[in-house]
Amino acid sequence: MARPSFDISVLGPSTRVTGRVTGGGSLRIEGSVRGDIQISGDAEIAEGGSVEGNVTAEALEIAGTLLGDVVSSGPVAIRNGAVVRGELRGSEISIEPGSRVSARLVADFELDLGPLPPAAAAKRR
Amino acid sequence: MSQSSVIGAGTIVRGNVEGEGSLEIFGRVEGDVSMGGEVTVSEGGAVRGNVAGEKISVHGAVQGDLLATQAVLLERGAKVVGDLSAPRVGIANGALVRGTVRTEGEPALAAPNKRVAAPAVFKPSAFAAKPVAKAEPKLAPPVEPDDEDDEDEEDDYDYDQQREAAVMPPARPKEKEPERRPPPPVLPSLGKGAKAKKKKHRD
Amino acid sequence: MAGTVIGEGLSIEGDVTSDEEVVVQGNLRGKLTSTDAVSIGPSSVVQADISGQSVSIAGQVVGDITAPERVDIQAGGRLVGDVKAARFTIADGASFKGAVDMEV
Repeated sequence: MARPSFDISVLGPSTRVTGRVTGGGSLRIEGSVRGDIQISGDAEIAEGGSVEGNVTAEALEIAGTLLGDVVSSGPVAIRNGAVVRGELRGSEISIEPGSRVSARLVADFELDLGPLPPAAAAKRR
Repeated sequence: MSQSSVIGAGTIVRGNVEGEGSLEIFGRVEGDVSMGGEVTVSEGGAVRGNVAGEKISVHGAVQGDLLATQAVLLERGAKVVGDLSAPRVGIANGALVRGTVRTEGEPALAAPNKRVAAPAVFKPSAFAAKPVAKAEPKLAPPVEPDDEDDEDEEDDYDYDQQREAAVMPPARPKEKEPERRPPPPVLPSLGKGAKAKKKKHRD
Repeated sequence: MAGTVIGEGLSIEGDVTSDEEVVVQGNLRGKLTSTDAVSIGPSSVVQADISGQSVSIAGQVVGDITAPERVDIQAGGRLVGDVKAARFTIADGASFKGAVDMEV
């Protein structure tokens, strides 16, 4: 069957992969993967899907379960109902309330609270 | 309904703030904030200290931990360095966070230096040894070399290598499990039943 | 419509089990077991034992194939491995090397 095959791979709901998944294109996981995933495209862990392993992708959307670290060059979105445990690294991390998350977020930015004027309050007294 | 207070844009509070009602911060607090009601750090507002409340909404900057009995919500433009803990946590697109996030009931992550060992954990054999159940306090249990799934690793799942290639900047102590056997000859005997069964056991 | 598609750019090193139809267009090294149909596309390079209700091979496979129903090697397909199936066809233009057991 002629199918634009490079783009999207799908691991169906009853599919279980034990091992490493790598390569190009995007990946939608409705089943389960035990092992690391490293792809050049977008990854999606659908509701009911689960990954026990680290994920490296261009973008990641999690509606299922992820136990592992994430390295994304793009956004990481955790949807309501997702369960995520691990370290998350991405350009933008969003977490919907209702998800169950125990994660360390690593975002590279400077937090500058701005300068404090020197004890002005003391002077006023 | 409790009172609501406001720390205006030009106001700086040096010290802790406590109260029963809700609090909106447009200015600056150098100290901890602990309210019975809702705490809002508005755009332009900043807190250098921990914040506790029933619900915490952040549009500004916080350097400190956020602990809420209901929800912590970080909106676009928020910048937070610190840990977030609440039954519900929301981080909108465009909010920047550095720290741990924990929704209620979730086990705490292992401390950072223990996490360093994590890559070694995610090998299939480790899964077999340690079911990653909710009860697990740490995400990086010690790697168990003596798992029963020796035979399964027909290929070189060199996760360590994979991890290093992927990104991880710090040099991680490679808790190398005994190196996997090299791939067996191409046509292994059809002991399919046995192997397939093994797989299913792990589930 | 296949339930699982391993696209052309994807490589899996490890075991795959499924209860759905599996279409492999990428690479697989390890083992593939499905209770439904398995089809290996022309662009695939597979080094694995494959077990499915039926298995169709249009790519390159090194491994033993077991299918209660049938195994077909399509033109352009290439299999090095043993076959165990009730029916077995090798199209003109296909390559095959291995033992065959049609459960006679």
